[in-house]
Amino acid sequence: MAIIGNPKYEARIDRHLAKYETKRSAVMPLLYIAQEEYGWVNPEGIREVAEILNLDPTQVKSIAGFYTMYSEKPKGKYWLQVCTDLPCALQGADEFHAWLKDELDVEEGGTTTDDMFTVEHVMCLAACDKAPMLQCNFHYVENLDQDKMRGLLAKWRQEAAQAANGRG
Amino acid sequence: MSDTVTINIDGKEYQVEAGANLVDAAKWHAGNDIPVFCYHPKMDPVGMCRMCLVELGTPARDRATGDVMLNDDGSPQIRYFPKLQTACTTTVSDGMHIKTNTQEVIDARNDVLEFLLSSHPLDCPICDKGGECPLQNLTMRHGPQSSRMYFEDKQLLEKHYPLGDLIFLDRERCIQCARCVRFQDEVVGDDVLAFHERGRRLQIITDSDPGFDTYFSGNTTDICPVGALTTTDFRFGARPWELNEVPSISPWDAAGENISLSMRLDRDFGGKALIKRVMPRQNERVNEIWISDKTRFGHHFTRSEDRLTQPQMRSDGVLRPSNWAAAIPAMAEALKGGAGDVAAIAGGSVANEDLWELRQLVEGLGGSRLGAWMPTHGGAEIVAEVGVGFGTNLGQLGRGDAILVIASDLEEEAPIWRLRLKQAQDRGAYLVVANARHTRLEDFAIQGARNDKVVEGDVIRYDAGDAVSTLQHLNANHRDIAGRLSAAENLVIVAGAEGLTLSGSKALAQAAANFLIESGHIGRRNNGLLIPLPGANGMGLHYLGYTADATLDIMANPPKALIVAQAELLDDDPAARAWLSQVETIIYANFFDDGISELADFVLPLQTFAERDGSFVNGERRVQRFYTGQGPIGQSLPAWKLFGGLRAALDAGSLQPSAAAVMLGLSENVSAFEGISYKALAQVKREFPDVGGRDLYYGGAAYTNTGGLGVQIPTASDRRKGRRPRRLPAFDQPAAGEDEFLIMPITRLYNRQRNFRPTLILEPRILTPYAIINAEDAAAMGINGGDIIEINAGESSVRARAALSDDISAGAAALPRHLTAEAIPLTITTGSIRKVAEAVAVGD
Amino acid sequence: MHILLRGRDIENIKQLDVYEAHGGFVGMKHALAMTPAEVIDVVKASGLRGRGGAGFPTGVKWSFIPQHEPVKFVTVNADESETGTFKDREIMEENPYQLIEGSLICAYAIQAKAVYIYLRGEFWDIGDQLDECIEALRAKGYIGENIMGSGYDCEVYTHLGAGAYICGEESALLNSLEGYLGQPRVRPPFPAQKGGGLYKEATVVNNVETLANVPYILSEGAGAFKAIGTEQSAGNKIYCVSGHVKRPGNYELPMGATFRELLYQHAGGPLHDDRPLKAMLPSGGSGPIVPLSDEVLDTPMSYEDCANIGTIIGSASIIIMDETVDMTWVASKVTKFFKHESCGKCTPCREGTYWLDKVIDRILDGRGSPDDVKRIADVAENMAGTTLCALGDFAANPIIHTIRHFPDDFAQHVTAQAADG
Ligand SMILES: Cc1cc2nc3c(=O)[nH]c(=O)nc-3n(C[C@H](O)[C@H](O)[C@H](O)COP(=O)(O)O)c2cc1C
Ligand code: SF4
Ligand code: FES
Repeated sequence: MAIIGNPKYEARIDRHLAKYETKRSAVMPLLYIAQEEYGWVNPEGIREVAEILNLDPTQVKSIAGFYTMYSEKPKGKYWLQVCTDLPCALQGADEFHAWLKDELDVEEGGTTTDDMFTVEHVMCLAACDKAPMLQCNFHYVENLDQDKMRGLLAKWRQEAAQAANGRG
Repeated sequence: MSDTVTINIDGKEYQVEAGANLVDAAKWHAGNDIPVFCYHPKMDPVGMCRMCLVELGTPARDRATGDVMLNDDGSPQIRYFPKLQTACTTTVSDGMHIKTNTQEVIDARNDVLEFLLSSHPLDCPICDKGGECPLQNLTMRHGPQSSRMYFEDKQLLEKHYPLGDLIFLDRERCIQCARCVRFQDEVVGDDVLAFHERGRRLQIITDSDPGFDTYFSGNTTDICPVGALTTTDFRFGARPWELNEVPSISPWDAAGENISLSMRLDRDFGGKALIKRVMPRQNERVNEIWISDKTRFGHHFTRSEDRLTQPQMRSDGVLRPSNWAAAIPAMAEALKGGAGDVAAIAGGSVANEDLWELRQLVEGLGGSRLGAWMPTHGGAEIVAEVGVGFGTNLGQLGRGDAILVIASDLEEEAPIWRLRLKQAQDRGAYLVVANARHTRLEDFAIQGARNDKVVEGDVIRYDAGDAVSTLQHLNANHRDIAGRLSAAENLVIVAGAEGLTLSGSKALAQAAANFLIESGHIGRRNNGLLIPLPGANGMGLHYLGYTADATLDIMANPPKALIVAQAELLDDDPAARAWLSQVETIIYANFFDDGISELADFVLPLQTFAERDGSFVNGERRVQRFYTGQGPIGQSLPAWKLFGGLRAALDAGSLQPSAAAVMLGLSENVSAFEGISYKALAQVKREFPDVGGRDLYYGGAAYTNTGGLGVQIPTASDRRKGRRPRRLPAFDQPAAGEDEFLIMPITRLYNRQRNFRPTLILEPRILTPYAIINAEDAAAMGINGGDIIEINAGESSVRARAALSDDISAGAAALPRHLTAEAIPLTITTGSIRKVAEAVAVGD
Repeated sequence: MHILLRGRDIENIKQLDVYEAHGGFVGMKHALAMTPAEVIDVVKASGLRGRGGAGFPTGVKWSFIPQHEPVKFVTVNADESETGTFKDREIMEENPYQLIEGSLICAYAIQAKAVYIYLRGEFWDIGDQLDECIEALRAKGYIGENIMGSGYDCEVYTHLGAGAYICGEESALLNSLEGYLGQPRVRPPFPAQKGGGLYKEATVVNNVETLANVPYILSEGAGAFKAIGTEQSAGNKIYCVSGHVKRPGNYELPMGATFRELLYQHAGGPLHDDRPLKAMLPSGGSGPIVPLSDEVLDTPMSYEDCANIGTIIGSASIIIMDETVDMTWVASKVTKFFKHESCGKCTPCREGTYWLDKVIDRILDGRGSPDDVKRIADVAENMAGTTLCALGDFAANPIIHTIRHFPDDFAQHVTAQAADG
C-alpha cells in the first residue's frame, strides 16, 4: 500500500508530528514507518516521507543513507545483524558470524536465495556481557551458540511458512 | 562599543572590524591567506575541512575580577588554546592573538592536505579546474612533497555522475567540503543537494525530481574548490590557462549581472575569439559573485547559425543580399522619403550608445516618436524619481528592513534579485509577497514553509487585476502588514506588471511610489522602488526618451518610415503585422530575422553584446559597461555604428570613432548621464569579500572585477525632488465580459524567445505551453489538468495545456509569454477559453 | 548498596506504584519545593559529574543555561554506543522511572519546556517501555501541565536513533533530533547557549546514568551523595565489564574502588584461570589501552586516578583481554569501529580512519613493513587534536597506545617481512 492515507499509520504519524517543534524532526520516525511498510526504504517511501514533512526528497534520502538501520536495499524477511565488535569478538562472535554465514550459505550482507535471511555484522549493540548475540529485525537475541541458533532459524522458517499459509 | 578591535597576527597588530570572521580579517587587513577549503565568505562557516587551523590565544582574565592579567612588562598575558583552532569558525575579538606560521600550524596544513590527497585522483592534466584549482594551489603552497599513503589503494568512484541536465559530479574529485550543498541551501533556498552515507563513503547526491535543476546551479561549479562539479556546457571545453577574460554584462534582465566572458581563439571559429563559458564577475552591489543559469548558459545565440550576417535590401519587391556600401546610401534615400514622419522602436536590450545614435537619427529627420519594446511594462519614469536610493546595496538589507514584492514572479523575471532578497530575508528582513497567484518567492514568505526556517514574511493574495487597489488600500485592508512595512527602517518595493495593462502597471508604480513617499522610504540608500522591466536596458530606454506610449502611438498611427532595433515585433505580437504593413519603409536591424523580412525593406545584421563595446542601465539605475569579447559574425555592425553611419550619409552628423566617443556625446546631452564616461564606468576598487580569480583559495572563477563597478544615476528624490505623493494616473482595469476570462500574461525565465532558443542545453527545461486556470472554473467547463485548451483573444488564438490551481481567482487565467508556438497578442487582457483535446500522456 | 541498579534489589521497581513505594518522586517533590537555582546548587554541591564520558560537573553544566531565555530543553543521551557499554540499557530496562524523575528534576532546574530522550535505534523495546512509563506518569499528573500542582509544565518524549555512534556526541545528537544529518556542529555556540542547543535554544545534554543519580541527590541530600566515592569523584558508578572475565556484566560500586576489586572480586577474575590478563580498555574503544600490571590493578577507579595511569575512566566500559589476545588485532577491531562510525564531516577523521584501517589490514595480512607501523602511529598523531569532534581523537588512541604498550605484538607481523616501502 502506501504510508500516506494508510489507516495503519495515521495515529503514529500524527503522534510523531506532535512530538517535535519542527516537522523535519519527524523524519527519522517516519523513515522507520516507511521501512516497515515496504520492507526497506524504497524510493516511494522517500517520496512519501518528503511529502508529509514538506521536505525535498534529497533531504530524506540523505538521512536514510546516513544511518545503518535504514536499509536502502531490500532485505530478507529476517534481518540478522551479528555483533562482532571487540567485546563480543573476545567471546567468539567472529567465529559465530562466520559459521552462521556458512550455515545459511550467504556472503556478508547477502540474503538467502529464499529471501528469508539477510546476514551482516554490526558494531557494538550494548549487550557485551551476553555475547555472542545478534539483532533480528531490531530485537535482541543473546547468549547464542550454534545449537540455539539452529533452533531459532528453524522456528523463524516455520513462523514464516505459517504466516504465508494463513494468508494463502 | 567601538566598531573595530585590535588583533595580533604573527606578532603584528591590526585594527579590524568587530564581529569579522578571522579568515576574512586576516586576508583583508594582513594579506594573510589562511588556507581554507570548506569556508566561503558568502556562507556560514562549518569547520569541516580543518585546513584553516591556527594557534589561537586570547587575553587571560582574572577569574575573580574579570580583569585582563598582565605580564611583568605590562603587556596582557595571552592564553593559547591547547589545540589548534579553526580560523574560519572564529570571530575576531579584542586582544586576540593568532599564529599562522609556526611549525605546528605548518604541519597541520601539510597533514590535512596529505589526507585530502590520499583519496584525490591526481588527474589535474585532464581536469577542467586545472590551473585555477584551490586544491592544486594550496598543495603547491602548503602540501606534502610526497604522500605516505598508498596510491594503488585509491578508491575508484564514478567520474561522470549527472546531478541533473547541467551539472556533472566527479565523485573521485569531491573533497566533501559541502560548499555546493550549502550554496543551494543557504544562498538559493532550494536544498536539492545533500550528502549520502557517511565516513569515507560520504558523497553528494540529489534525489529531487527533476535532478539538480535550479536557476542558479552553475554557481556551484565556481565555488567548488576542486574540479568535482562541471557544467555540461563547458566540460572539457578548454584549459583555463588558454582563456582570456573579458568583462561584460548579462544581456537578459534588469538585474545587470556582471559577467566575465572566457574567450579563446578558436580554430573552428575562423581563428577568432570565441566564448567558451560565461562566469560571474564580482560586483557586490549588483550580483555579488552569483549569476543565473540563463546568463551562464544563454550565450549560444551569439554564435547561432541563424544569425543575420549580411545587409539585405529590397529591390523589385524582393529582398536581396547586399553590402553596407550599397545599403547605407539607399537607406538614407528612403528615410529622406519619410518626409519627417520617421519613428523608431527599440528593444529592451539595446545599448545606450545605440539608443543615442538612433535618437539623433530620428530627430535629425524631424521625427519624434521613439518607442520602447515591449509596451507592456510601465513605470520607468517613476523609478527615475523614487527608485532605490543612491548607493543602495540589496546585500545590506536585513533585520529591521522590509521588502514588498507585488505583481511580479521575481525568480522568473530577475533571478538574481530574488536570490538577494531571499537572503535579505534570511538576515532578518520582513518579506511580503503579493500576487494574484502562487509564485516561487512566496514559498519563502510563508512561515516555516520550507525546512522549518524561522523567517519573517507574509503573503497577500488578491483577485487577478486587483494589484493597484490592493496596494492603494494596503493600510486599510492589511493593516498589520502595512504597519510593519511603514515602520521598517528601510523599505524596498518591487512592483511588476503581472496581470496589468501598461497603464495599470504605471498606476501600480505610482501607488508603490506613494506608499514609499508617505512612509518616508525614498531618497535614502536601501529604500525605494524597483521594477523588473524586460530586457537589460529598460531604464536606459527611459533615460534616452524611448517610451511604451510612443510605441502604442506608432502602432495606432503607423509612420511613413520605421526603424526597428533589436525588437522582435512579429515574434512578440501577431497583431503587429497589420499595422506594419501600413508603414512605407521598414528598416529592421537585429541578430535574427523574426519573419519581418516579408515586410521590411532593409534587414540588417547587428552585433550582439558579446562582439562590441557598450553600456546598459540596470533596474537599480547603475550604468554598466561591457567590452568586446567575441569575434564579429559576417558583416554585422554594432547598432550605434549603423545609425551613426546613416546620420553621416544624411549629412546630419559624423560617425563617431568608438562607442566611448558616443558615450561622451551622450553624457554631454542627456542630463542623467552627466559626468559618465567609459573611464568612470571602468573604475574598480577592492571589494569585500576578496574572492578574486587569482586568489589561492577561492580560485576557479574569473571573479575579479577589472571592467568597472559602474556608476549609479541618482533619482529625483536623491536630489530632493519629487517627494510628494501624486494622484494615481487613470488606468484601464481590464474587465472580462460574459463567458470571458481575464488573461494575465506572465514571464518564464526559460522560454522560446528568439535569442534564447539556440541555448540547446536548456531546451529540455522549457515547459510545454500551459495556462493556469482556476480549478473550479475548469471543472465547470469540463477541463481537466493537462487538457489542451484554446485561448481566443480578438483575432488570434493560442493553444496550451491547462494547469489547474486553487490560488488563482475565478475568471482569470495566467498565460506564460513566449512558450507557445503561436505568439500571444501583446496587449491581450481578456479572452475566451475552450477545451480542444483531452490530456495526452506525456511523451505522446 | 545500589543507587542506580535498584532493579536488582527491589522486585518490580519498574512499576510506578512500586517505584513510588520505595522513595520514588520524593526527590522531585523536594525539588519542586525549591527554586530552580536552589536545585542547581544542590546538584553542584553533590559533586556529581557526567557519566557520559567527559566527567563534566553536572550542576555547573546546568548553571550555564541562561535563566532569562524563555525556551529551553533537556536532552537525555541514551545513545549508549561506546563499544563495551551497556549500563544505560539496564537502568532504562529495570529502573526506568528513576531516569525520568531525574530528567524532570533537571528540566525543572533549568525550567525546560520539554525533555527528549534520545535512544540508540536498537533500543526499540526500551523506547516502547519508556513511552508507557511516560503515559503512566502523565495520568498521575507527573508529566504535562502543572506538574504535581507546582504550576510547572513539562513534556517528556522519546526519540529513536537509527544506528550511528556519532549521535552520542551531543551536538550530533541534537542535529539528528532536528532531522539533520547526525554530524557534530561547530562550537561555540555550545548546547547550553542560545543558538547552540536543540532548535537553537539553550539545552542541557546529560547521560542516562548521570540523570538517574539526581533523584537520590535531591531526596537524600547533596552530602549523602558526596560522602560516597572520592574527593573529586563522588557517588557510585556503574562499570560495564566485558571480555575475558568469568562474570561479565554491570557492577555498581562507589567511585574509587580499585580495578582489582572490580575484576577479581566482582567479575570473577580471568575467564580461563591459566591465562593471565594482559590488557584493559577502561573506556571502550575510545580511551587509551593499558597493560594490566599490578600498578594498574591497584589504581582506584576515579577520574583523577585514571589520569595518573595514562588513561580515562570515561564511560567505564571495561574490556578485558587475556594473554592470548594479539593487540594488533585489537587495534584493527577498534579502528574498524571508528572507520565505520566516522561521520565523514571533517577531513582528518574521514580520511585518517580509512587509511589506518587499510594499513593495519595490510600488517595483519603479513604484507606490512616496519615502516607501516611507524606510519600508522604518525597518521594517528596527525589526526589527534585536529578534528572537529572527539571521535577523531578516540580513533587515534587505539593505534597510538597499542603500539606504545605492545610494540612486540606489531613487530611479530612485520619482522618476517622485508621492508617493501
Ligand atoms: C564520539 C562521541 C560519542 C559519544 N557517545 C556518547 C554516548 O553514547 N552516550 C553518552 O552519554 N555520551 C556520549 N558522548 C559524550 C557526549 O558528547 C556528552 O558529553 C554527554 O552526553 C554529556 O553528558 P554527561 O555530562 O551527563 O556525561 C560521546 C561523545 C563523543 C565525542
Ligand atoms: S572527528 Fe570524525 S566523527 Fe567527528 S566530525 Fe570529524 S569526521 Fe565526524
Ligand atoms: S575548517 Fe576552516 S576552512 Fe574548512
